[in-house]
Amino acid sequence: MATLNKQAQKKIWAFLALGTFVGLLLLPLFLSLPAGASGGAPAPAASTAPPVAQPADAKPVEKSRDIWYKTEGPVVGAPAPKTTDGPKDYPRYNFESRVLLWVANQQHLYYGSFVLAVPIFCMVIEYLGIITKDKALARKYDQLAYDFIKISLTAYSLTAILGGILVFTYLTLYPTFFGYLASIFRPVMHTYALLFVAESGTLYIYYYGWDRMREGFLKWVHVSMSVVLNMIGTVLMMLANSWIAFMQSPAGVDDQGRYLGNIWHVIHTTLWNPINVHRIIGNMAFGGGVVAAYAAYRFLTAKTDEERAHYDWMGYVAMFIGVCFLIPLPFAGYWLMREVYAYRQQMGITLMGGLLAWLFIIQAVMIGSLFLTTNYYLWQGLERMRGAERYQKYIKYMVFVLITCFIVWLTPHTMVMTPGELKAMGGQQHPVLGNYGVMSAKNGAINTIITTTVLSFIMYQRGNKVPTVKWAPMGNAFLFGMFTVAYINIIGLAIYGYYIPANVRVGLSVPQVATTLSCLFIGVLLNSIMLKGAKELGPTAWGQVSVRSQYALIMLATAFTWMMGLMGYIRSSVRLFWHVNEIMRDNSPWAFTHTIGFAANMISFNVLFFWITILFVFWLGSLGIKKAPVAASVGQKVPVPAGSH
Amino acid sequence: MFNAKRMGFITAAIIAGAIAAVLAILPDSGATQLMRNALAIGWPGGLVIVTLMLYFQFGRAKDPNRGQLVFRSIIGLLGYAMFFIAIANYATNFNDESFGAPGEPRFLPVSLVMITVSCFTMAMYFKGLRVLLQLGGFMFFVSSCLAGFGNWLPQVKADPPPAEAEGGQNVKEMSVQDRADMGEKIIFGAVGASNTQGAIGKGQCPLCHGFQKGFLSERAPNLFGVPKRALEQMKDVKYSQKDASKRDTAQKEACPGCGTASTAVEYIAESHACPNCYVVAGFGVKGTNDKESPMPVIHKSPIGLSIDEMIAVDTWLFAREGEEPPSPEDIENAYKKFIPEADRPKPAGAPGAGPAGPVPGAPVVTGDEPVNEIFTKALCFACHNIPGIPGAVGAVGPKLVERTNAPGRIKDPAYKGKATSVREYIMESIITPSAYVVKPYPDNIMPKDFGKKLNAAALNKIIDYLAQLEEGKEPPKIK
Repeated sequence: MATLNKQAQKKIWAFLALGTFVGLLLLPLFLSLPAGASGGAPAPAASTAPPVAQPADAKPVEKSRDIWYKTEGPVVGAPAPKTTDGPKDYPRYNFESRVLLWVANQQHLYYGSFVLAVPIFCMVIEYLGIITKDKALARKYDQLAYDFIKISLTAYSLTAILGGILVFTYLTLYPTFFGYLASIFRPVMHTYALLFVAESGTLYIYYYGWDRMREGFLKWVHVSMSVVLNMIGTVLMMLANSWIAFMQSPAGVDDQGRYLGNIWHVIHTTLWNPINVHRIIGNMAFGGGVVAAYAAYRFLTAKTDEERAHYDWMGYVAMFIGVCFLIPLPFAGYWLMREVYAYRQQMGITLMGGLLAWLFIIQAVMIGSLFLTTNYYLWQGLERMRGAERYQKYIKYMVFVLITCFIVWLTPHTMVMTPGELKAMGGQQHPVLGNYGVMSAKNGAINTIITTTVLSFIMYQRGNKVPTVKWAPMGNAFLFGMFTVAYINIIGLAIYGYYIPANVRVGLSVPQVATTLSCLFIGVLLNSIMLKGAKELGPTAWGQVSVRSQYALIMLATAFTWMMGLMGYIRSSVRLFWHVNEIMRDNSPWAFTHTIGFAANMISFNVLFFWITILFVFWLGSLGIKKAPVAASVGQKVPVPAGSH
Repeated sequence: MFNAKRMGFITAAIIAGAIAAVLAILPDSGATQLMRNALAIGWPGGLVIVTLMLYFQFGRAKDPNRGQLVFRSIIGLLGYAMFFIAIANYATNFNDESFGAPGEPRFLPVSLVMITVSCFTMAMYFKGLRVLLQLGGFMFFVSSCLAGFGNWLPQVKADPPPAEAEGGQNVKEMSVQDRADMGEKIIFGAVGASNTQGAIGKGQCPLCHGFQKGFLSERAPNLFGVPKRALEQMKDVKYSQKDASKRDTAQKEACPGCGTASTAVEYIAESHACPNCYVVAGFGVKGTNDKESPMPVIHKSPIGLSIDEMIAVDTWLFAREGEEPPSPEDIENAYKKFIPEADRPKPAGAPGAGPAGPVPGAPVVTGDEPVNEIFTKALCFACHNIPGIPGAVGAVGPKLVERTNAPGRIKDPAYKGKATSVREYIMESIITPSAYVVKPYPDNIMPKDFGKKLNAAALNKIIDYLAQLEEGKEPPKIK
């Protein structure tokens, strides 16, 4: 021990404290698992309940087969109820119950996502603050993490309230369905509730202990608590996900919906993990968007240059995090969709080529808009840097490329038409524009958009810097060559795709995506290395940025929120007229699938309701400000995300 | 000269004047109704603002900021009014697209635009709330664009399939045509819908299969010509007609000892009962080398067609190509060959079967309803433009201004019907739609079972109404 220095000892104690803390917090989960695993099943050896003697003439335990895992298990639950349209199964107000549930669910989900994402940012930023040697920078990181958690605290109470509203809505409007779900997920629901208590306790200690645990060993304990907080939050989210995954791809029950006693099968359905991964990444992108909007709001209401500088920087960091997680999101989405197809091809087709396919057109428009807005924000950000004027002249060409690709990207493949319109157009596809609605053109367009966004970011990194490393000319030439070849490759393959059969064409997306990702990783990494010790043409004047840039952040935040509502609607409505897919039918008057327009109106309502309430939360947050942001004079060096300028 | 305050006054005066003009000149218009609704919802807040304005004007006579306060009250009232008109528009047009429900959901994004305008207007004059109002307004604007785009796209509402199979009807006692119609309805959702792009019924077949000649089916084989092609497929070495055990597929037989098909109808039955038994080249699950089919077993969940329903579907597959369909007994026997008894779907009403749904083909109206309700319940509005009927703006069939249309059509050389008057022509068009097909609309789109769905009273009401409709003239008032 004598060889261990003081810092290492602190770390060991911190880890020990963390381990104890985790153990205590997760104790309820472990205690509940044996009961849950039995699910009331006849497994006396594992059960904590005293064994009950079986009468001699007891009927043999009925066994049945798991609808997904195909394993045999004892029937311990009742079949899924066959509901009928009436006050018993579907009590109602003079309004569509499903819409009420939609609103309650979506609001809870928005807040839940936000309060799960923000502690992850806090954890990373607080940790950065601890390991940073520059004390001024460390304080600034610490302040930023504190700002983040402060916003999420009020939102946390609202999340809990909305969760309560959601449960009451289920119980009062869909009692039979909720009863069935609760009968299967009983142990999971109790565990969920216990974990929620643990999450609340940890969050409050984490927040209110911030000042007391500011220095030394206690700071390590404090940052360890954020790890625990995030672990509990993630488990909470995964448990909640298991309910919706079960509704979409049930397992652990037989074909009549009877529970077979294995709670792990019920939780671990085929779509559970893809949904978990997709949601974690999505939450991070969404959380980044909301914090960016908060920063924009505080920037626009700031009274001093210091405040403006702080919130400009905060907005940039949040936007950076949001976009970083936006990029892998389509890959997680692809995995989810692949699993959906593997589970039920019809479900996949209904999503991508059937009833709900038009909603993906809206998604495409939104993805295009997000990238355009990100580019716009980065270009606006060049205004902060002296010396960045030299890049302004390229922006117009990038705008042209982005807009052209955006138009191609949102050209629909086919349109739903009347026979007359079909005849007039001579087929399902327009003779000219139809060429841009095919996958070849779209793949080329979206890859060009992402590659151009990477180029914008590299330009932004270089804004006020000139590389001074010896190999800079070669590095520049390499970057120029790489991007030139990338554009030629992406567009060339897109054109080539028109001349080959569909089954071969599908394979072209692999080299296109590989090209884009190469530009992203190699380009940004190489540029960052080149900029080490670079000559600065002038300081980065945080806070000296246009108001329009802050509206770009608001646009990003609104679009993230809207897209989340849209994709959630798509995922949920693909069950069509089933409460639990193929197990429990929805026999309410609202078992139909709404039109796209109605869904778009509802999503807008939810988005705006969320933003009106969260603006109120922001306002509340601004009332309780005790500490002024750490003073940072204009032009002062401030920390930036890895790879930034 | 035109400072912000003066501009505000002028704008407020213009808007107030416009509102007054609408109220005075068009007392029964939709805009007036909207404003009345807005007043009904938002009058308490409006009253507070007006009271404040009067207080500022008369109660604070010596206040040097009096003019400013009164002016802000006016702007506040204007913004408030616009906000509530937007809410009234939302409330009026919010519906679940149920047939006959009032309103038009497509107008909802207009509310968002109105709130955007309201927010930005007020942000100009209320400095304390400027940023919040501007941010809020911007978010409303972004959402209005997205919602507007969603409403601009083609709108399709998907109803769930009937709760149970065609209960109450014995498919074996039906005529061939009725049986084929039932099959078409199961596949495409409606009789005559086989030519409609995107039409889909309980069977969900068009999700993957093509049905029209020459249509390129990428997900599953095109079923055009399948009764004849089945005979060819059975000769395929891969099908291994003589010995099912030699098949190189994920499942060799539909059930142990079921064997293989020997007729076209058996081939189709086997395809439905055991899609994995033979996979047409190129249509297997990716990566299985055509050993496994992506198609679900049709008599099981989620499709879950009963044997009667599959008999109807198979009848349609033959009948629509002009082939003599096999008898229902033959088709039933084919299915029984490939579906063991324990595995057969239970007929409606049997233990374990769900509650029977409404009987298709039964009258949809009693005839006592107002004519607009009859049009709605019979779904005429979905395809036809019928002046005077809310929501009847369909473009799949011709506009029904029959007092104008009918005389000319009866004289048309292409007319093959027997009608001699407008009323007779309308009746004939409903009962036998193919008697005269208006160009350029295709035949067989309009269902041919309205004679069963509509009783005499309902038909009379429809005819009375349509016979009065003239191009360019106001439609008659609905009683």
